[in-house]
Amino acid sequence: MTNDVIKEAVAKQQSTDRKLSTDNSVLGKVMTFHIGDQIYGIEIQYVTEIIEMQHITKVPHVPSYIKGIINVRSKVVPIVDIRSRFGKEEIPYTSRTCIIILSFNELSVGIIVDSVADVEDIHSHDISATPENRSVNTNSFIQYMIRSGDDVKLILDVAKLLDDEG
Amino acid sequence: MAKIEPGMESMLDMYFYETNSLLEQLDEILLRTEQANSFDSEDIKEIFRIMHTIKGSSAMMGFENLSVLAHKAEDMFFVIRENPDVITDVSFVYDLVFQVSDSYKAQIELIQNNINGEYEQMDFSELINKLLKARDALVGETKGDTPAQAEAIASGAAPDPEAAANGAAPAAPAPAADNKTTVRVFFEDGCQMENLRAFLLINTIRDACKELEFEPADVENNPETAKEIVDKGFLITFVPHDSVDEVLKAIESALNVQSYEVVSTPAAAPAEPAKTELPPEPKAATPAAAPAPAAAPAPAPAQHAPAQTSVEKAQAAVEKAQAAAGGAQKQSLISVNLAKLDALHDIVGEIITTESMVISNPDLDGLELESFNKAARQLRKLTSELQDTVMSIRMVPLAGVFQKMNRIVRDMKKKLNKDVEFVMEGEDTEVDKSIVDSLQDPLMHLVRNCMDHGIEEHVEERTAEGKPAKGTLKLTAQNASGEVIITVSDDGAGIDPEKIMNKARKQGILTKPESEYTEKEIQNLILLPGFSTNETVTEFSGRGVGMDVVKANVEKCGGSIIVDSKKGEGTTFIIKIPLTLAIIDGMEITVGDLVFTVPISTIRESFKAESSQILRDTKNNEMIMIRGVCYPILRMHEKFAIDTEITNLEDGILLLVETDNKSVCIFADKLIGEQQVVVKPFPAYLNKYNIKGEGLSGCTIMGDGSISLIIDTNTLIG
Repeated sequence: MTNDVIKEAVAKQQSTDRKLSTDNSVLGKVMTFHIGDQIYGIEIQYVTEIIEMQHITKVPHVPSYIKGIINVRSKVVPIVDIRSRFGKEEIPYTSRTCIIILSFNELSVGIIVDSVADVEDIHSHDISATPENRSVNTNSFIQYMIRSGDDVKLILDVAKLLDDEG
Repeated sequence: MAKIEPGMESMLDMYFYETNSLLEQLDEILLRTEQANSFDSEDIKEIFRIMHTIKGSSAMMGFENLSVLAHKAEDMFFVIRENPDVITDVSFVYDLVFQVSDSYKAQIELIQNNINGEYEQMDFSELINKLLKARDALVGETKGDTPAQAEAIASGAAPDPEAAANGAAPAAPAPAADNKTTVRVFFEDGCQMENLRAFLLINTIRDACKELEFEPADVENNPETAKEIVDKGFLITFVPHDSVDEVLKAIESALNVQSYEVVSTPAAAPAEPAKTELPPEPKAATPAAAPAPAAAPAPAPAQHAPAQTSVEKAQAAVEKAQAAAGGAQKQSLISVNLAKLDALHDIVGEIITTESMVISNPDLDGLELESFNKAARQLRKLTSELQDTVMSIRMVPLAGVFQKMNRIVRDMKKKLNKDVEFVMEGEDTEVDKSIVDSLQDPLMHLVRNCMDHGIEEHVEERTAEGKPAKGTLKLTAQNASGEVIITVSDDGAGIDPEKIMNKARKQGILTKPESEYTEKEIQNLILLPGFSTNETVTEFSGRGVGMDVVKANVEKCGGSIIVDSKKGEGTTFIIKIPLTLAIIDGMEITVGDLVFTVPISTIRESFKAESSQILRDTKNNEMIMIRGVCYPILRMHEKFAIDTEITNLEDGILLLVETDNKSVCIFADKLIGEQQVVVKPFPAYLNKYNIKGEGLSGCTIMGDGSISLIIDTNTLIG
């Protein structure tokens, strides 16, 4: 989703015009996954596939969050550990650990997540913008948030995640 | 906004391909003749014909503005063709035609980008006015020379070149009065658009005829004539250059011609019309077999001959392009969608991987398999032939890209007012099609940089250095040991390390103390993002993007770029690009849980070390003595920071590798064996890290699906 769409959705919620603010449309789908207790999401159009954890070939001279490369149906794909990318402590991989293959601008990257949760609709009512405070380490990778009940899901900015020099 | 006519979409690709190749051809002719500073009559005819073909096909596709533009350019060249001496200001004509060619490319790009519907129609009225003025000026010149002819051209009654040609020809319409032949042509039933087919037929035979008239005369612009042609046939009266038979043959082999009859011949009076029935099957199905199909109107039959495969269509297009190239020789070429070749290339890569999987299958270990081995050898031979063939299919010469650079140099020369000679070497070097495509932008940047920053602004600066007043820009290409090396060099001012350093300091892109930078490193600083030393931003360069984009583009296709410059003597950019689908014979070695592939061509020997051979120098660097020669030892696990249990030199294996007269002993855990591997570049995501600089050139997928890293011996040792 573009930032404009998000802004518009947020603006609509705050709008005094009742007709606008009751218009709860579905803007897209996200795939959600767990990192620790937190639920993150990635818009579905960036997700190519989900594969289970497998042997990763290490590549020298890269930052520690790049775990290496794997062979996904004859394509060589680099793998990033999201925990370590976000500066969280790494935990041992379990049977629930998954690799989500993302593609963006012809760039393919796999991310390691604790476990995959669900695929759900994005309702324009649930969207809220991230706080301006950028001091939180992971904040820069969050494009917007989705509130549903008490849960808050952080939706990752794939462009930043893959392009960012970090 | 204009819309593409429905029903024409299917022909768009063909149109783009054809028009683009014609425009490239036009550029080439212009550049060549401009250098020689004269048009010869062949070139003029050629340009005329290119414009004519573009006009026809654009009109057919409904691109009105393009067709009008080509028409006007054609008009101008018509005047020139009739009287080549009229050109007084050659460069003016060149500029004009280049502008036409550029406008064309721009408009076609616009259309190409909006295939699914609307496109923006560019306004060529200014250019058309210029062309009209130029034509009028030329006609004025002609008038001074041969008033009669000029009148025929200038008289508003004959604005069309064809009509003008008729007007200029001695007026003798009486059939069979002299050596004229009249033919009545009938087209296939229901082939539609008979008037356009008639027009294309006229184009086909035009070159073979000295004089040519046809009835109805306004077939090109008047669709109403189609019906007339169906009813009465299309009447062509001509005087051939060589023989009547040749023209008749061309008519016979033209597309959609059902039959023709000779109404009158020069010798006999209108005797019994000899009617020639053509075989009923459409000629379109066998374009290759048709003798000299010349400008066979390839797109037209596509609609009506669904049986015709796309390959054949493409073939027709290629033949048409060749006919346009003036080459009468017939070559059997087809144009193929690159995506299909990519798929083929991928499959071959997989076949080779799979072949290794089968032949070196662990299940076969320890078995005596004589006939299996024989068959395996045969298979390997065939797959390697297959691989060579696929590679050669994808190879195209660099000449096209180089030619475009020629064009850029020409334009910049004028704009910057610098006198520069453009030299090409090795433009026939063949590289993979995908590399050619991705090289175009980087080369353009480099050539622009050389022209803008490299070559001195004032001639005095050059002469003061003792250099010839005329600058030289050289573009070379060569194949060297599995790599293509392309250089762009100028003999200009060179790179001033002082200036670079100052700038780098200001930009804050230095990563170590200044004193530690070597001259080479300083020069290569200009390849970093955000670096541009030109004080002012010009039309051509100096925006501070550019060199880093060049670097990124080159790296994208697995290559590398370095700068070599000497202040006052010039600058050379050296681009090295590996040939794609590189399949190398590799030796697999393990270090910890990683597998590396060392190219066998660089391995001299492998052996177990004995403690007596190992020496240490004062800095505790390990060395090994083999047959009286001392070689340094490179521990792979240290170099790549890998955990392994084998750290004792006597437990592992040593590989003596050698490149460029440098040798080193690589220390690894153990040898696995020899395997043919397909080199794959590292994923683009990893490009920002310096993996390549540390001795790894790529990776490969092995028979069991695991990944092995390929050692680049050159950088590993260097």
